[in-house]
Amino acid sequence: MSSHNRSQSSARRGDYVWQYEYYDDEPVSFEGLKAHRYSIVIGFWVGLAVFVIFMFFVLTMLTKTGLTHDPKKDDDSDDNNAVSRAFLAESRSYFNFYISKEGEGKDRLPFDGLLADETRTDTDCDFLSHFNIPNFVTCEHNSSLGEDDPLSKGNSDCLALAEV
Amino acid sequence: MNTSMNKTDCPELTVPVPVFFTIGVFSLMENLLVVVAVIYNRNLHSPMYGFMCSLAGFNTIASLAKTCENVLLVFADAGQLEKIGSSETKLDDVIDSLLCMSFLGSIFSFLAIAVDRYVSVFHALRYHNIMTMRRTGTSLGIIWTICGVSAMFIVSFFDFKFIMIFFVCLFLICFVVICFLYVYMFMLARNHARKIVSVNSGGAITLTILFGAFVLCWAPFFLHIIIMAVCPTDPYCECYRSLFQLHVLLLMSHALIDPAIYAFRSAELRHTFRKMLPCS
Repeated sequence: MSSHNRSQSSARRGDYVWQYEYYDDEPVSFEGLKAHRYSIVIGFWVGLAVFVIFMFFVLTMLTKTGLTHDPKKDDDSDDNNAVSRAFLAESRSYFNFYISKEGEGKDRLPFDGLLADETRTDTDCDFLSHFNIPNFVTCEHNSSLGEDDPLSKGNSDCLALAEV
Repeated sequence: MNTSMNKTDCPELTVPVPVFFTIGVFSLMENLLVVVAVIYNRNLHSPMYGFMCSLAGFNTIASLAKTCENVLLVFADAGQLEKIGSSETKLDDVIDSLLCMSFLGSIFSFLAIAVDRYVSVFHALRYHNIMTMRRTGTSLGIIWTICGVSAMFIVSFFDFKFIMIFFVCLFLICFVVICFLYVYMFMLARNHARKIVSVNSGGAITLTILFGAFVLCWAPFFLHIIIMAVCPTDPYCECYRSLFQLHVLLLMSHALIDPAIYAFRSAELRHTFRKMLPCS
């Protein structure tokens, strides 16, 4: 982005220079500096790096420990299952890969599924279609495993459940 | 005031023009590819891809404007272009407006993508009723209009400190909202994932990349604007301002890595690319 001194229209016509110079009207005195010249630059970048690393550690810590509200009933009772299933249906776009990846291990990470494209697999659509939920979200025409996944061919069934 | 020193001790850092060109051209190609892919594939006509397409569109405009500016600068340095002239001034204003519009648009597009993901996670059943294509189209129209008008205002009235303050506050507010939405989603997801399998830190890495890239690429430029408004004559501030081209380069590289963070993670979009490109 180039700039020029806009406050003086005469300068605009006479001294307009097309380059990246910026606000060089008054020469800045560099004598008597107590700290290093680039102290703002260094301080800013160090602060930024610290912020990013701090954020990463906070997120990792949130992952490992349970900092949010701890549900008291932690066992697999039937009530809990019903509640879990209802919640699963509610947050289907997050949980679909859990259903599809039950046996697959750590390949597909939970939040990657959240942030990546929300793809629905065949098993997911079958599972959630049991709830007879109206206005079911369209199952997209692909699979999270890639285009050579044999499941992807069955995805077109899911389209029948959707309203557009 | 001691004006004996006319030379500054912090010479301006110049980034070679080929670097700007390379980044500009690559980012232009990438984002144009995303825009064309979303328009071309009917499966991708959904709110989420609409917002991604808008983000890619804004990045395309930014890359185009920057590349044009580089071309004009090269011509100006070679003496082919008249440096003093009303047409060059107008052209400079147009390019600045386009850049400003695309920067504002990127921020709003990030916000829209975050809101869309939030709705898809927490209101999944009503997602199609909340996020209809008409609402998506309306919000995209509003975003583009606001960005276009704001950009013209900002460039025309850049002298007023109020405009700069407004620009910076907008960035901070959007950043905080996006931060809140994503961290809230992450916390809820993590809370329920504890029951199932031990969740490793993959989600943390993804979020860190998302935010880290945004902050690392945008914050230096915004600090530059703040410093321009607050301390134009301070020597420390001058040394920071001498890195202006580096800050603009960071903004451009964010347009370059945006598709990798948002668009290319989608299998459907990658599939569309492979179908579109003749070499596969």
